[in-house]
Amino acid sequence: MSSQFSSQKTRKPGERTFGLLLVLGSVYLFFQAYSIAGFSELSSAGAFPMATSAAMVLASCIIFVNTLKLPAAKGERFAHNCLPPMVAIIMALILVYAVILESLGFILSSFLFLFITIQFLYRRSVLTTLSITLLSLMVVYVIFRLAFQVVLPEGIVPEREIIASIKALWR
Amino acid sequence: MKKITFALLATLSLTSTASFADYPNKDIQGVIMWGAGGSTDNVMRSIAPHVEKELGTDLILTNKSGGVGAISMKYVDKKKADGYTLLMGAENPQMHRVLGLSNIDYSDMIPISLLARGTPMIMARSDAPYDTMQEFIDYAKANPNKVKLGSTGKGGLTSIVLAMLASQVELDYISIPYKGDGPALTALQGGAIDVMPAVLGAAIEHIKAGRMKALSMVDVERNPLLPNVAPITDTLPGMKAYLPWGPFFGVFVKKDTPDDAVKTLQAAFKKAAVNPDFVSLMEKSGYTIMNTSGAEASSFLETYRSTSSWLVYDAGFSKFSPEKFSISKP
Amino acid sequence: MDSLSFFAMSWLSPELLGLTALGTFLGIYVGAIPGLSVTMAVSILISFTFSWDVNNALCLMIGVYMGGVYGGSRTAILLNIPGAPSAIATALDGFPLARKGLAGEAIGLSTVMSVIGGFVGIIVLALAAPSISEFAITFQPRDYMMLGILGILLVGSLSGNSLAKGIFAGALGLLIGTVGLDPMTVEERFTFGVIELWDGINPIAVMIGMFGISEALHQLHHMDKAVIKQKISRIIPKWVDIKKYLPLSLQTSFIGVIIGALPGTGGDIAALMAYDHAKRVTKNPDVPFGEGAKEGLIAPESANNAAVGGAYIPMLTLGIPGDAVTAVFIGALFIHGLNPGPLLMIEQPHMFWFTVGNLALANIFVLIFGLTGIRMFSKIVECPKGILIPLIFLLSIVGAYAINNAITDIWWMLAFGVFGYFMRLYGFPVGPVILGVILSSLTDENWRRAILTERGSVTDLFIHLFSSPLSTVLFMSIALILFTQTPVWSKWMKPKLARRFSN
Repeated sequence: MSSQFSSQKTRKPGERTFGLLLVLGSVYLFFQAYSIAGFSELSSAGAFPMATSAAMVLASCIIFVNTLKLPAAKGERFAHNCLPPMVAIIMALILVYAVILESLGFILSSFLFLFITIQFLYRRSVLTTLSITLLSLMVVYVIFRLAFQVVLPEGIVPEREIIASIKALWR
Repeated sequence: MKKITFALLATLSLTSTASFADYPNKDIQGVIMWGAGGSTDNVMRSIAPHVEKELGTDLILTNKSGGVGAISMKYVDKKKADGYTLLMGAENPQMHRVLGLSNIDYSDMIPISLLARGTPMIMARSDAPYDTMQEFIDYAKANPNKVKLGSTGKGGLTSIVLAMLASQVELDYISIPYKGDGPALTALQGGAIDVMPAVLGAAIEHIKAGRMKALSMVDVERNPLLPNVAPITDTLPGMKAYLPWGPFFGVFVKKDTPDDAVKTLQAAFKKAAVNPDFVSLMEKSGYTIMNTSGAEASSFLETYRSTSSWLVYDAGFSKFSPEKFSISKP
Repeated sequence: MDSLSFFAMSWLSPELLGLTALGTFLGIYVGAIPGLSVTMAVSILISFTFSWDVNNALCLMIGVYMGGVYGGSRTAILLNIPGAPSAIATALDGFPLARKGLAGEAIGLSTVMSVIGGFVGIIVLALAAPSISEFAITFQPRDYMMLGILGILLVGSLSGNSLAKGIFAGALGLLIGTVGLDPMTVEERFTFGVIELWDGINPIAVMIGMFGISEALHQLHHMDKAVIKQKISRIIPKWVDIKKYLPLSLQTSFIGVIIGALPGTGGDIAALMAYDHAKRVTKNPDVPFGEGAKEGLIAPESANNAAVGGAYIPMLTLGIPGDAVTAVFIGALFIHGLNPGPLLMIEQPHMFWFTVGNLALANIFVLIFGLTGIRMFSKIVECPKGILIPLIFLLSIVGAYAINNAITDIWWMLAFGVFGYFMRLYGFPVGPVILGVILSSLTDENWRRAILTERGSVTDLFIHLFSSPLSTVLFMSIALILFTQTPVWSKWMKPKLARRFSN
């Protein structure tokens, strides 16, 4: 794992907040688990979720306390070491992609996503990016939609009609 | 190349004014309500190739399981009512309203074909100290809270059969729930449970091999596949009120689908369902072929819904009263 | 004599031979792409081969199965994105090897060990199928429950340097696994009234998010770093290496066969248990586990391929599927008019030996295709990051969608991707999360069944743990692991014992 070799001596920026969020989240989930069936029966639907969320609460508290004990890492900033702009931008792009996927359809949204991210990360000429994008999109489409018949979101592109008319040419 | 471009342009302009004169003019998506390898999946995958032949187009089958069938219902309901999305489902949605699972059931869809229906049975592990329904009832009464009975969750086949039983005879047993009849029948062979209601098709091979025994057929008459097993009405004549009852497999489209698309589909499924391969497959595995559509199908669906909804309501595990949805009493 | 001719059937017919080869080849790629599952591929093939002769259809499907289980390791090693849950454990030590430029060697070794595991599974299937399947169905709910607990204890060996973080991750995974309509009572758990949550959160979506997306996001930190050149001079592993690791491979293969043969568990759990076993028996690995130990690569790869033969054991003898894929195979036999069930061996006597022979053949093709494609595959890692990373995102999204044709799975995958990014950032292991998701329903359901069987009495349940040899053995192993892996042992007993022996 990429971050395992860092045997923890210092606390990273944001680590306290993350620990605190985990504690709060665990407590919330514990109450959710409690609301399934309360302490009614050992065989109830809520028994196992309650046990696991209790373990989460316990573990997250220990982690949080341990984090508080650590000194802050010197010279590290959240926006630089933990969530650099590059990562944040890409996260946002993926989010937009997932949002427009259903309405625009797989082909258009994936084309836009691939084109923008490759252009942003690879930084070559538009023509290179365009050809890489088209090529990889074609391969993915053929594997998933045509070979494995995963009906990807069609959106505004009338895919099935196009496939049908291409097929008709062979008939 | 020119030809392709032309064809593309032609279809693009066509889609805006989509005419149904030549339905189907593209692939049809079949949404299977349950996962790969299940009985619904098997039935649908074995009829699909025959339907494809009748329609002259591809039927793309996708499994969309979840929410006891409610997710696939919702998915198809969200699609356009153009006859290009079929719901290939089982009986479950008919109880969704009273169980509070969903507010759509098959009365909100057009039945294309009810393909086949299964017969429930009461199974017991092969070394159980009873061989018939009567012996089982006597044993369970003599040993209250001893018999371990497998079930598949509220609203599942076993829960309905048990609700029927409960309306006739009072039994004290331990109910042990399983995810589906497959794992439960395995548990029956391993002795983790003693008795379990299951559909004939799932159990028949195990019965033939002597790995479990059939106590009773939950039907009004004997089944030609297992002529030695007595119908449950011999022991509990009061069950006649609910029977014949059984899970079914059907194909549906969204309401307001154009008539000619519905007619084309109905005709195709009607023809496909008499294909000898399909017929022999269904019969061998203990399903009764129905092959109905139209008014006949709707009335079957309505009867099923009212029997099952009132049964679960009377057994006390429904969320709402069937009256709320104006489901009439059987 | 008959059995031999059935066994050789697919070896001698050029048509069947070709189809098996094709199936295996396809399977490797299906397995390598996260989101394309073997289950899915086989059920598509059912429709596709509907009109074929049943033997031809089976050859193609068996090839896909064998190849697919192996293929999951490819992307796990190269990109740290397991192609399937059964390759999660492979990623733990396989990916660090690729980062050292040893991807070729890692794939070569995993291929050979997969094939050895595959053969162990097939041999056990051929020689002991009836008795093992009878044994497998005697597993009671309490036994499955203890198996689940044994699995959960693996959190200890997947935790890296903070046990608390590992426990948190594992518990989170277990909790994720309970989301949805409870399959036993149809009660809603953590669904917040959203119908899309009824079927729970798909483990594959969690896996793609936690491994794929979060890894790719982390890679963005090092965009300026040059890609690691892969040494591909050595692909076929050294004979010394094979000899050295053979005992471990055989041991973990047997774990794989048994776990695979149990109707409630499959290759994913087998691989994780094998990884744990390797970690426990390897006293002094050349490289620490988690940083590219070959033992950590060999164990899961042997086990998950051995589980294929294992899964066939109850299927061919009793008509009970050993895992999700064999469930679809049962459907295929049904559709082809054979009656899969306990009578299959009597009514279709050729089926058993034909399948055994065909599995063996497919396993040989795994070896051939596995070793020949490595050069090309290793190049994937050398592809510029600016292209590779967007493609990983695209594949992750399409893969998540393909699981159940649902946009919701994409949302979950993204949410776990971002959460996993922060988890990794702050030193949390992500392996235990997936472990938890995989084991959640096994443990939860069987715990409840076990306690229901005892009418709610914990004491009765405890007493019954000693009523069968199987339960007793399982209970003892749990006790042993708990004892040897907790501070009681390492802080107090171990030094004492060591002192006594040194005296």
